[in-house]
Amino acid sequence: MKETPLSNCERDFVLLAVREKKRLDGRQTYDYRKVRIAFGTEYGCCVVELGKTRVLAQVSCELVSPKPSRPSEGVLFFNLELSPMASPGFEQGRQSEMAIEMNRLLERCLRSSRSVDTESLCVISGEKVWQVRTDIHALNHDGNIMDAAVIAANAALAHFRRPDVTVQGEEVTLYSVEDRDPVPLTIHHMPLTTTFAFFHEGSRLLVDPTRLEERVMEGRLLVAMNKHRELCALQASGGIRLLQDQVLRCSHVASVKVLELTEIIQRALENDVQARKEGRCCGLAESLPVQRVTVACAHDAVVNNEEARRRADEVVKCAEEPADTEGAVYHRGPHTAQVGEGLVNSWVVDDNEPKSEEEQEEAMDDGDLEGVKVENEEVEELSDDSVVILETQHRAPNVVQLSDGSEEDEVIILSGKDLMNVSSDWSRVPLSVPPC
Amino acid sequence: MAGVELLSDQGYRVDGRRASELRRVQCRLGVLGQADGSALLQLGNTRALAVVSGPHEIRGSKSKALHDRAVVNCQYSMATFSTAERKRRPHGDRKSIEMSLHLRQTFETAILTQLFPRSQIDIFVQILKSDGGNYCVCVNAATMALVDAGIPLQDYVCACSVGFVDETPLVDVCYAEEAAGGPVMAVALLPRSEQVAFLSLDSRLHEDHLSGVMKAATVACRDLHAVLSRIVKETLQEATAGE
Amino acid sequence: MGAPKLDSPSEGCVEFFVNCSANASLKFEGRGGDELATMITNALHRAFNNSSCVPRQNMCIVPGQHCWILYVDVLILEYGGNMLDTASLAVKAALHDTRIPKVEVSKNEEGISEIELSDNPFDCTQLDTTNVPCFVTLNKIGKQFVVDATPEEEACCLAKLLLALRSDGTLTAFLKEGTSSLDPESIFEMVQVGQRVGKEMHFALDDSLTKQENLTCKDKIGFLG
Repeated sequence: MKETPLSNCERDFVLLAVREKKRLDGRQTYDYRKVRIAFGTEYGCCVVELGKTRVLAQVSCELVSPKPSRPSEGVLFFNLELSPMASPGFEQGRQSEMAIEMNRLLERCLRSSRSVDTESLCVISGEKVWQVRTDIHALNHDGNIMDAAVIAANAALAHFRRPDVTVQGEEVTLYSVEDRDPVPLTIHHMPLTTTFAFFHEGSRLLVDPTRLEERVMEGRLLVAMNKHRELCALQASGGIRLLQDQVLRCSHVASVKVLELTEIIQRALENDVQARKEGRCCGLAESLPVQRVTVACAHDAVVNNEEARRRADEVVKCAEEPADTEGAVYHRGPHTAQVGEGLVNSWVVDDNEPKSEEEQEEAMDDGDLEGVKVENEEVEELSDDSVVILETQHRAPNVVQLSDGSEEDEVIILSGKDLMNVSSDWSRVPLSVPPC
Repeated sequence: MAGVELLSDQGYRVDGRRASELRRVQCRLGVLGQADGSALLQLGNTRALAVVSGPHEIRGSKSKALHDRAVVNCQYSMATFSTAERKRRPHGDRKSIEMSLHLRQTFETAILTQLFPRSQIDIFVQILKSDGGNYCVCVNAATMALVDAGIPLQDYVCACSVGFVDETPLVDVCYAEEAAGGPVMAVALLPRSEQVAFLSLDSRLHEDHLSGVMKAATVACRDLHAVLSRIVKETLQEATAGE
Repeated sequence: MGAPKLDSPSEGCVEFFVNCSANASLKFEGRGGDELATMITNALHRAFNNSSCVPRQNMCIVPGQHCWILYVDVLILEYGGNMLDTASLAVKAALHDTRIPKVEVSKNEEGISEIELSDNPFDCTQLDTTNVPCFVTLNKIGKQFVVDATPEEEACCLAKLLLALRSDGTLTAFLKEGTSSLDPESIFEMVQVGQRVGKEMHFALDDSLTKQENLTCKDKIGFLG
């Protein structure tokens, strides 16, 4: 499914908000959305929420033979999946350009910066090494999947434990989790990305854009950095022109953000370790916030609208009297009527076209209760395809007027008395037309 | 990082250059007669052929057309024989698609696309010989091809890669320096306004060194711009003198 | 490029790979050029990959274990008709220019052969290309036929005859392509013309190759010359 295009007024609205340094969710320019990290019961499984954006990372490993060019190094593999689950705009199966770019960025960010010690993943040089595979799935897309994915990948890698192995001569023994405690990976550092979105030809920038902001932005700069203030990857893309000091400023902001994020990840990891030690329940289901109904009734929120009302009164006072317009309804033919005296209705060619039999019958036995019922149904019919829905007749309790006096012989006027009779039976009449 | 000394004590690099020295640039415009614009550019041992066609009607599905500007379409491919180890596929792998995407993003900023609504500009770049700095050579070659095709540009787009070894930025890194695993930054610059059209960095670099590396890249791009514009002028002079 | 081999253990192999790049023509973008590329690859493979054309026996190092594999990559830069003939000429020239390094094979006490590459990069053998064929494509247009067709001529050609010819005029491969039929008599005539053209082509190519060789290093020109 193709993504629905953004309407111009939405675009203008967001751009205006950015210009006035306001964001729709009340954040400041350099603020991240709320980051929440939850770990699964298994090692190496982690869900990261960044506002409404949510990604899942799962690390797994297996023994493989190494690449011939690097016989004593383990293999790291990253895969970011953008499935239609996250957003209907993502296609199933085939990788889009965006997905490929993100995958490459992940690789560049985590693999080329050597965040994980690959040499410690070697079992027998040239024969057996660990392949550590990180699969990241986007569960919900509300902008800035990249940052969330990188956080998830880092957290999952840090959380992961691989089975222990021992080598005796040529023999490799693989211990199951029950036999021996699995060992964590050696993590050198945590490269985290900060995404900057640029607006108004690079004059405005935002950190952690939401989906709406992402769709409006002109370009973005991605800075990957670790807490030692080392840049691990840098990528400006999307057709913006930047000045050198803009880049430097961004890297400065990123260094602050990365410290905060590292702190959050570390704390989440510690909490998880603590929870496991104490034997508390852990896992994704546990970590989801429980939404319970705690009150039985809803209280009305008190809204002070004095000011608004006063201003409205002022406006009304100042306003000119609207020109007198007559809300006359002209009946132009069967199923066709016109409000006011605008252009001549061209829908009906012959003004003196004979009425349908049903209607004529109806005109004959007016006053009859049956007739009113029929008429009510007639109104329903009319409302389906006539130009003007003649609802006014219900509002005026005294006179039900289907057509205007211009066509004298068609006039159906029910007296107030008749209607009173009807109104007692009103509830019995199957009414699909809303009474007002 | 083992073994090779990338920067000797005397300040020379593995191929005998100084730290801020570019490799030799050779370029010829209009090498292919059929295309609207073409250029063959060689930077040291890296050689790229760029072909530009357009602006022309959108090919394929018309839904790609943009009502207010031209679509820029890039394809990057590497000849199977361009690297020391034979490549299996010339294009279509992740790296080539990423490179195509980067090229497209770079040139979308530089080409005055708003002048050609509902049309398409194709840029095809082929690496014939690879010795480091593929992205940069591609950008420079594509710029020259665009100039040859007469497509209005904001400015020349000059790209240069910069490495960083022993506290010194190394300009225009070759394959040996790239493969050593140090940080490499590729910058595409519009030299007149000194605006960065594209930026990418691999591997670790301390933030404090960022400004130094960027400055070196800016200077290198400006040098390249001087060389490229001289080549264009010479080509023009030859063409007009011939008539 | 030493590697084991297939059903002919005492010969080297030649692998062809043709790539129609998007540079050559807009219609080759993406996967557009694959069909033409496969056609040329197959034709080249049929004509070249037998020991009577390329001296494959010389490319064997240890029978059944090691041999040279020649990868011939053809990259089409610009499309101006008559792709196959041009490609085959280029292949012949490239094979002529190919040097295969000399290797020493010695057997150690366990009977496992060790291969030692000569340290001198100039210590190598040149491939013998006297028997390497070239393609001549004859295009039938209406009642006439033409050689070296332009794209326009190719567009209105109904049938093609692909001949692979050695420099002495011997036919090594023969292929008919296209939708229309050919009269046996006209085929004979076409082959004769093809032989004449093929000989001329070989002669011209050999001539320019020898000229190239006689140039000193300084005069050698590349693409950028």
